[in-house]
Amino acid sequence: MSETIARLRPLRRLATRLEIRMLGLALVVFVTLSAASPFFLQTNNLLNLLDQSVVTGIVSAGMSFVILTGGIDLSVGSVLGVTAVLMGLAMPHLGILGGVLVAVAAGAGIGLFSGVLVARFDLASFVVTLGVMAIGRSLAYIFSGQNSISDLPPGFNDLVYTPILGIPSNVATLLALYVLAWLYLTFTKGGRTIYAIGSNREAARAAGLNVLAYSIMPYVVSGALAAVAGVLLSAQILSIDPLAGTALELDAIAAVVIGGASLAGGRGSIIGTLIGVLIMVMIRNGLNLLGVSPFWQGSAIGGIIIAAVLAERLVSARTGGH
Amino acid sequence: MADVAAAREAAPASAPLLQASGIEKTFGQTRALAGAAFDVVAGEVHGLLGANGAGKSTLSRVISGQIRRDRGALLWRGVNFDPSGPRAALAAGIGMVMQETSLAPDLSVLENIFLPDLARPGRLSRRSWRMRAEAILATLGQTDSLPLAAEVRRLSAAQRQLVEIAKALAVEAALIIFDEPTTSLSPGEVERLFDVMARLRASGRGLVFVSHRLEEVLAITDRVTVMREGRTVAQGLATTRLSQADIVRLMVGQELGHVHQARVAAGAAAPVLAVRGLRAPPLVRDVSFTLHRGEILGLGGLVGAGRSETLEALFGLRAKTAGDIHLHGRPFTARHPAQAIRAGLAFVPEDRRGQNIVPDFSVRENLLLGHLSAHRGFGLGYRAREARIKALLARLDLPEERLLDANMLVFSGGMQQKIIIARWLLLEPKVLLLDEPTKGVDIGTRAAIYEMLREAADAGTAILVVSSDFEELLGLCSRILVISDGATIAEMPSAVLDEAKLTLFAAPRSSMAATTRLLGELASETGGAAFWALRDGERLFCLARAGDTDPGADPGFGTGATPLFGETRIAAALGQPPGTFVAEPDGRRHTLLVPVHSHRGHDFGVIGVCIARPPLPDADAIARRVTDLVTHQM
Repeated sequence: MSETIARLRPLRRLATRLEIRMLGLALVVFVTLSAASPFFLQTNNLLNLLDQSVVTGIVSAGMSFVILTGGIDLSVGSVLGVTAVLMGLAMPHLGILGGVLVAVAAGAGIGLFSGVLVARFDLASFVVTLGVMAIGRSLAYIFSGQNSISDLPPGFNDLVYTPILGIPSNVATLLALYVLAWLYLTFTKGGRTIYAIGSNREAARAAGLNVLAYSIMPYVVSGALAAVAGVLLSAQILSIDPLAGTALELDAIAAVVIGGASLAGGRGSIIGTLIGVLIMVMIRNGLNLLGVSPFWQGSAIGGIIIAAVLAERLVSARTGGH
Repeated sequence: MADVAAAREAAPASAPLLQASGIEKTFGQTRALAGAAFDVVAGEVHGLLGANGAGKSTLSRVISGQIRRDRGALLWRGVNFDPSGPRAALAAGIGMVMQETSLAPDLSVLENIFLPDLARPGRLSRRSWRMRAEAILATLGQTDSLPLAAEVRRLSAAQRQLVEIAKALAVEAALIIFDEPTTSLSPGEVERLFDVMARLRASGRGLVFVSHRLEEVLAITDRVTVMREGRTVAQGLATTRLSQADIVRLMVGQELGHVHQARVAAGAAAPVLAVRGLRAPPLVRDVSFTLHRGEILGLGGLVGAGRSETLEALFGLRAKTAGDIHLHGRPFTARHPAQAIRAGLAFVPEDRRGQNIVPDFSVRENLLLGHLSAHRGFGLGYRAREARIKALLARLDLPEERLLDANMLVFSGGMQQKIIIARWLLLEPKVLLLDEPTKGVDIGTRAAIYEMLREAADAGTAILVVSSDFEELLGLCSRILVISDGATIAEMPSAVLDEAKLTLFAAPRSSMAATTRLLGELASETGGAAFWALRDGERLFCLARAGDTDPGADPGFGTGATPLFGETRIAAALGQPPGTFVAEPDGRRHTLLVPVHSHRGHDFGVIGVCIARPPLPDADAIARRVTDLVTHQM
C-alpha cells in the first residue's frame, strides 16, 4: 500500500489532494455556467459573485475551525443578527469603529460561552449552539424592538466599497481573512492542535496538547467572524434587520462540507471551504441568470451537497482515506 | 506434579452438559484460540484459568455465542451446537454473567430480568414477571437484596451481578458462565456470590468460573481447566488435589527459554523518579517504587491491577489523591500531560489506534506531536527537529523519503508502534513510560522495539514498562515491580524471578487485607516481626511482612522478597516442622510458623512470628488466631 502511494505519478498525486479535486469541481461549474449563460462571464457579474460570497464566506471560515475540531456551530446566523443589532444601537454613541468593536467583542463573547459549555462541560456542540441560536435570535428581536435599524452613519457604507488595491474592501477583507486562517491552521501550533483534536482527541490529550483551550477557541473565532460578516452585511445595505443571517448556518455548513471537510473533524481545509463557498454562490447566481425559479435553488444546492459528499466518500475509499 | 496426575483420574461420572474440543479462533493476525478443549457437567463449578491473554475470555465468548469459532467441535447436551448469537445460546440454555454488565441501566430490575421476553410476540404480563422474579430470588436465597422496581443504574456492582444471574435463570439457563465475577466485589459480597453459586450447583446447573484469583478458584470450584496461549493444557482436574503452585505451573508452562538477554541491575545509578504511596482512585491504591537513570523497570501484574492507571497518574492524565513523587530529588506532580512532558516525562499509552495515532496526520506530523506539545512558540518549530528526525529514522531503518509524507494507517502495527516510540525519543525524555509496547506487534518488530528501548536506556533514559507478557518483562527489564489490586507488593531483580514466581506474586489475594491486619497486630503485641509467606522447595515467597521495631527480630526479608531458606536469618526454623517456637543456632531469634489451610484444605502458606528475646508468647493462642482468620476470610 505504501509503495503504491510513493509511486503515484505527479498528476495522480495532485489529484489526491482534496483542494485540487474541489477546485476541479468549481471549474466544471464555472465552465458549464459560462456556456449556459452569456451574462455569466461579464466582469460585472464576476465582481457580483465575489460580493455575494463575502457574508457566507466569512461565516464559513469560522465554521471551518469548529468543524475541524469535530464540533458544529448552529448559532452563526443568530450571532450575526444579534451582534449587528447591538452594533446598530451602539453606533450613534460610540461611532463607527466603536460599534464594530462592540459587535466583534459580543460575537467572540457568545462564542466563548458556547465553547466553554461544549469543551469544559462536555456538552454536545449541536445542542449547545442550537440553544444559543434560539437565544441569539430572540435577543436580536428584543434589542431592536422588532424594527429594522436604519439610522446608521452614512460613512459606514465606505467600509464596504472603498477599494483596496483595486478590490472592493469587503472582498479584500474576505481574502485577507482566508489567508490569515490558512496560515494559522497550517503553520502554527494552535492550528495543528485544532486538527489533532478533531482527528483523535484522546491522542492529542495523551501527547500533552492543550485540548481544552483549543476546543474552546474555534467557537470564539466562529462567533467573532459571524459578527464581522454582520458588520459587512449591514454596511452594504445600510440597514440592520433583526432577521439578518437567518438560515446562514446551513449555507456555511454546506460550504465547509462541499469543501471536503469531514463532519467528524480532523479533515478539511480552509481553501476547500473557500472553494465550497464559491461553488454555492456560482450556482445560485447562474440559476438566477438562467431564469430558474428561486424555489428550485434549494433543490439544486441540496443535490450538490449530497453529490459532493458522495463523490468524496467514493474517491477517498479508493485512495485509502486521503 | 504427582497431584496433577492423580487429579486427572478423578473424572466425573455424569454426562457432560457441554463439550468443546479443538476450538480455534483467529482475530486478524492474532490466534486467540488454537485448540481449546473444555467440558462441563451438571451440578459442578468448573474453573477456567489462564494467564493474561491465554484465551479464557475468548473461549467463554465462543460458548455463549458472542463470537463464532473458526474450527472445532462444540457439543451441547451431546448435540452439535453453533449459536448464531448470544440470543441463540441463551435460548439453548447458556447464560453469561459478564465483567462489564450487559444490562440496560435505565430500565428497572424486573424489566432487565425479563429483557429477552420483550423480543417475544404477545402481551407482557408484569404480574407473572413479578411472581417469577420473586421465585427466582427465593431459590437464590436473596429475597430481600434486590428491589425489583429500582432502576438498574442505582444498584451496586454486586446487585447488578445478581440481576444478571436472575436474568440467566429467567430463561432457565442450565449453564452459566461467570467471567471474573468477583473483580469489583467486597469480601462480604464475594461470600454471598459463592453462596448463590453453591445453590445453583445444588440445583443441578453447570457453572463456569473464569478467574485470576487462585484462592477463590480453590474455594469454589470442583474441577479446573487451565489454558495457555490459546490451548487447553489441563482439562477437568479435580480441585481438591491441586495446590496453588500446581495451578501456577500449569498456567505458565515449564519451557522457560530465555530469548531475551536480561539487563544487569542498575546498581548505583542515580534515582530519577521516586514514588511513595501513590494513590489515584479507583484502581491505584498504594504504589511505591524507585526508578534509576538508565534502568528498564518492569511493571508486572494482571489486567485490572492498576498498572496503566499508575502510568496515567504519573503523567498527569489521572488525578492523584495521595502520595509523594520526586523527580531528580524534587517534589513533582503533573496536573496535566504538558507539565509532565516539560519535566522530561514521556508516555506511550496502550491503545495505539485510540490514544496514540492521529490518523489524519502524516507520519512526519505524528512523529512531531510530542514536540508540538513541548514547543513553546506560536509557530511550529518543526525545522529545529529535522536533523534529529533524520538521525532517528536512519537508526530505526525507516526509509525517510517514503515515510514522512505518507499516512500512518497504511503501515503495519509494528511500524506504527516504532514511530510512536520514536515520537517520544525525539524529545530525549528523562523518563519514558510505556504501556504494553509490543501488543499486537509481530516478533521481528518486537526485537527492534527492545533494541530501541535498550539504546535509549544506555543513553541514560529511565524506562518503566508495563506488560502482561511476563516473559517479555523478565527478558527486557533489570528489575520488576509487581502490582496486585492497586498496590505494589514486590520489587525485585528479574534475575531471581521466573514466570511462575511472577504469576504467584501477581495473583490478587482477597484475604490480603485481613492477613495484613493480623500481621500488624501480632508484630505489635509481641514486639517482634510477623510475615506471611509461601514455601516452594527451598525458596520462600514473602507476601507480606509487618513489624520492624526490634532489629534483632528481623527475619532477613521483606514483602516481595524471594530468598532461599539459607539466605534468611531464620534458616533453622524454616527447616523444622511448624507449630512451635524454634530457636536459631545462635540463639538470637525464636520463630513460630503456623500453616494456613483454607477450609477445603488448600495450602495457603505459613504465617510466621519472629521474636528476639523471651518470654515467648503462647504458640497455641497465635495458631488459634490464624485459624480464626482462615474461617472468616479464606
